[in-house]
Amino acid sequence: MDTSVKTKAERRRKWTTAMLLAPATLWYAVLLLLPLVTIVIFSFGERGPAGGYIPAFTFDNYLNLPTRSKAFFNTMTLAPLGTLACLLIAYPLAYYLAIVANKKYKTLLLVLVIVPFWTSLLVRTYAWIFILGGQGLPKLLAFIGFEGVRMINTPGAVLIGIIYIYLPLMVFPIYVSLEKLDTRLLEASSDLGASPLRTFFQVTLPLSIPGLATGSMMVFILLMGEFIIPQMLGGGKVYFIGNALVDVFLQSRNWPFGAAFAVSLVLIMLVTITVYMRYMSKLAGGRDDVSVM
Amino acid sequence: MKIYAIFVYAFLYLPIALVIFFSFNAGNYALDFQGFSTRWYAKALTNPFIMDALWFSVKVAALSAVMSTVFGTMAALALQRLSGWKRTFYDALIYVSIMVPGIVIAIATLIALVTVFKFLNPFLEVLAPLFDGQAPKLSLGFVSLVAAHSLFTMSLVVVIVRARLSGMDRTLIEASEDLYASPFRTFVQVTLPQLMPGILAAFLLSFTFSFDDFIISFFVAGPNTTLPVYIFSSIRRGITPEVNVIGTVVLVGSLILLFSAQFLSTMGKGKKRSASKDDSDDS
Amino acid sequence: MTNKDNKSITETEFMNELYRYKKGSVSRRHFMQVTGLSTAMAVVAGSAPAMFAGSAFAAEDLGNRLNFATWPNYMDENNIAAFTEATGVHVNVSVFGSNEEMLAKLQAGGTGWDVFVPTNYTISTYADLGLIQEIDLSRIPNFSKEHNDPVFTEQGIYNGKVYTVPKDWGTTGYVINTAHTRSDMTSWKEFWDSAMNEYSSRAIVHDYQLTAIGNALKYFGYSFNSVDPAELADAEKLMIEVKPHLFAVTSDYQPGMRSGDAWLSMCWTGDAVQLQRDIPTMAYVLGKEGGEIWSDFYAIPTGAPNLAAAYAFLNFMQDPEVNAREGIAHGYPLIDSRAIDLLPEDLKNNPILYPAAELLSALEFGAAVSLTNPDRAELMARFKAA
Repeated sequence: MDTSVKTKAERRRKWTTAMLLAPATLWYAVLLLLPLVTIVIFSFGERGPAGGYIPAFTFDNYLNLPTRSKAFFNTMTLAPLGTLACLLIAYPLAYYLAIVANKKYKTLLLVLVIVPFWTSLLVRTYAWIFILGGQGLPKLLAFIGFEGVRMINTPGAVLIGIIYIYLPLMVFPIYVSLEKLDTRLLEASSDLGASPLRTFFQVTLPLSIPGLATGSMMVFILLMGEFIIPQMLGGGKVYFIGNALVDVFLQSRNWPFGAAFAVSLVLIMLVTITVYMRYMSKLAGGRDDVSVM
Repeated sequence: MKIYAIFVYAFLYLPIALVIFFSFNAGNYALDFQGFSTRWYAKALTNPFIMDALWFSVKVAALSAVMSTVFGTMAALALQRLSGWKRTFYDALIYVSIMVPGIVIAIATLIALVTVFKFLNPFLEVLAPLFDGQAPKLSLGFVSLVAAHSLFTMSLVVVIVRARLSGMDRTLIEASEDLYASPFRTFVQVTLPQLMPGILAAFLLSFTFSFDDFIISFFVAGPNTTLPVYIFSSIRRGITPEVNVIGTVVLVGSLILLFSAQFLSTMGKGKKRSASKDDSDDS
Repeated sequence: MTNKDNKSITETEFMNELYRYKKGSVSRRHFMQVTGLSTAMAVVAGSAPAMFAGSAFAAEDLGNRLNFATWPNYMDENNIAAFTEATGVHVNVSVFGSNEEMLAKLQAGGTGWDVFVPTNYTISTYADLGLIQEIDLSRIPNFSKEHNDPVFTEQGIYNGKVYTVPKDWGTTGYVINTAHTRSDMTSWKEFWDSAMNEYSSRAIVHDYQLTAIGNALKYFGYSFNSVDPAELADAEKLMIEVKPHLFAVTSDYQPGMRSGDAWLSMCWTGDAVQLQRDIPTMAYVLGKEGGEIWSDFYAIPTGAPNLAAAYAFLNFMQDPEVNAREGIAHGYPLIDSRAIDLLPEDLKNNPILYPAAELLSALEFGAAVSLTNPDRAELMARFKAA
């Protein structure tokens, strides 16, 4: 009797698990697997006479990708560079917030970091068009003697936009991992005669790697698919994979080629991120709590 | 260090200050200040298309956040019980859905749905007599947009809730089971309260993501306009201070919501920590 | 402008008032009173019920929404307001940068547009793909066939069926800000050459395959519409060479020109008129090698959700007074002679709108093949990605 109760409970448990997973399974099937499979199929097709898709089997779309090497190059240099820049600027701020700042103002200061998120990203980016445009900073610079500086529509402008938009995303995870850090460790380290610099590199930095990894991962993922910032601050001159993709759909209406683009972008990301995570979890001393988020 | 912090905050707030400043511009070009006026506020707030877009965005964000929070939490609970290849399979799905850029999701969903609709709509024609001769037609719109948004946010919810689950105190659950509480009761009275901060944070994150998303909406919203899509279009139309008004109003609106939520929760529960802090606590 | 009041104002006075109004130094009401536009508006608004009563859709419910897809800087906002006032229909304006983008949106389905503004060379493709509806001219009593120049209206008729009503026409040249550039530029060759030399990082090229490629083809003296692979290859070489020297690739070039960042840009008639109004050093150049002449139309996509409102809007826009106000605002030459008669003299005699005959005769209408040709589409995409 005891065993029958147990199997009944077991069955019920299995059934509950299945039910709990059902909506998520449906979502992944219809909205992730189906679209991904569709673009893989489409990527071997041909463009219709007026655009769109005609079934076919050809590798032409993939062979045509090198004509967009500049977009790949831009993305794959500016995305890591942007991530790194965000990291370098965010770290001291996160450190300040977590360790130096007065406890009384901490919450306020933290809230101030996320508030920008609640103004439309488009509107904030638009503000930079003005700041970097001829009537903004360059005019100020001209005033103090640097004539003819051009900022808008350059890779530099896009980089500034990237840092501006994604900085808060980087500050937060680093802050969280630094905050968990036991300050007694730091005291112990300095008591043992370690220089502040040594304390930082041997104690603080290694302990903040999970947050650092999480933050850079998020920023990097978002940057690889970035469209808006290069669109608005690059003026059609600084071109990301995302922009190329949108163009292929909206201007050339070449769905198969766009699909090939999308597939290769996904592949690039799978490889880079998997490698990166392996490396980061090794850095964090084999701890497996360095997850995507 | 402090000076550095001030500098970074200035960097973060200079553009926002400009947005707010130019929203009071009396002139017709957003960035050509002609004097102080609130006329663009009156204009923007009575523009039915802005109100439509705002309302549509709120609906999409709310529904997709609710759905992804519920489904994501359910999935996180279930995944705890899975092991072996099934677990690996779902982990891979979550991993991929977070990693695939929004732009790929947008375009892939568009292509897939348009293709599926094209295939299904002729079959729906058959149903025409049942609907007064107007056959139901599948097309892009509210439903497809909510679905596409909730895919990404659901995975976020799973990750956040799971992190919380793993950090949870199991002894309480065991105690509850020892006291012969039903699994459901255990869940409602023990597990759920412990998960709540994580769930709330995940909800907030999902809502924000959906509300501010441009690229997925641009491709998947069909004839509907979300607020970011409206703003994108106005930016191309040659910007009037109206765009700045929208930005300012959204900022002030969400700040009010944020602070009232914070106020209510401190009033209600006393000394709970802020949700946003808890969310990343376990990463 | 017609001004039935006793104190009429001259055209120059009108334009001065308009500029002052645009700059925001006078209130809308003041502007309206001085120019007599308020009378015109009142007449329009007052006569609106009568205007619609006579038409076939009098009994129809217009609804309260209309989605209108058009181009940047291409209408008089006051006309839109007057339409809303007269009919209760609110107009949502979305703006696009190229016909190709409009086509892509329509092909993907579900745009929700009721009225949009296609250019002559796209009509046959839209019709073939079943993306636009035939127009029922009886629902647009304000349209007068005999007052519209057939040179342009015929571009909107395909296989004997009317798919459009005319909006305006224009040319594609380039605008230069002579405060920074020399003022004797006359050709596309000079445009491209200077863009990569003395005006490096100061030039804007359209984000629009028809004109970007077409005007590069003109550099070599080829046809604006060429799809010949060898000729396109020449154009591509030029474009890729110039690309790093450009200020931007965009169809919304007014902000760049106004801020002084850009000194020269490919440009359509009306933008040149608008820029010159505010910044007198702006000049418009039609390449002596030729280039594009075009006409734009109003059309209704298949499955427009607010059809009644769409017809009401088209009818409203065909009213000569309304049309004339459009013309004053956007600065493109109109097609309806009734509206042209209402335009101020300086607009009627403006060489930007009405270039010398020998310059005009060198221009070509865009061809349907340019829209769908995959090589041109691909070339443009490569240019942008370069």
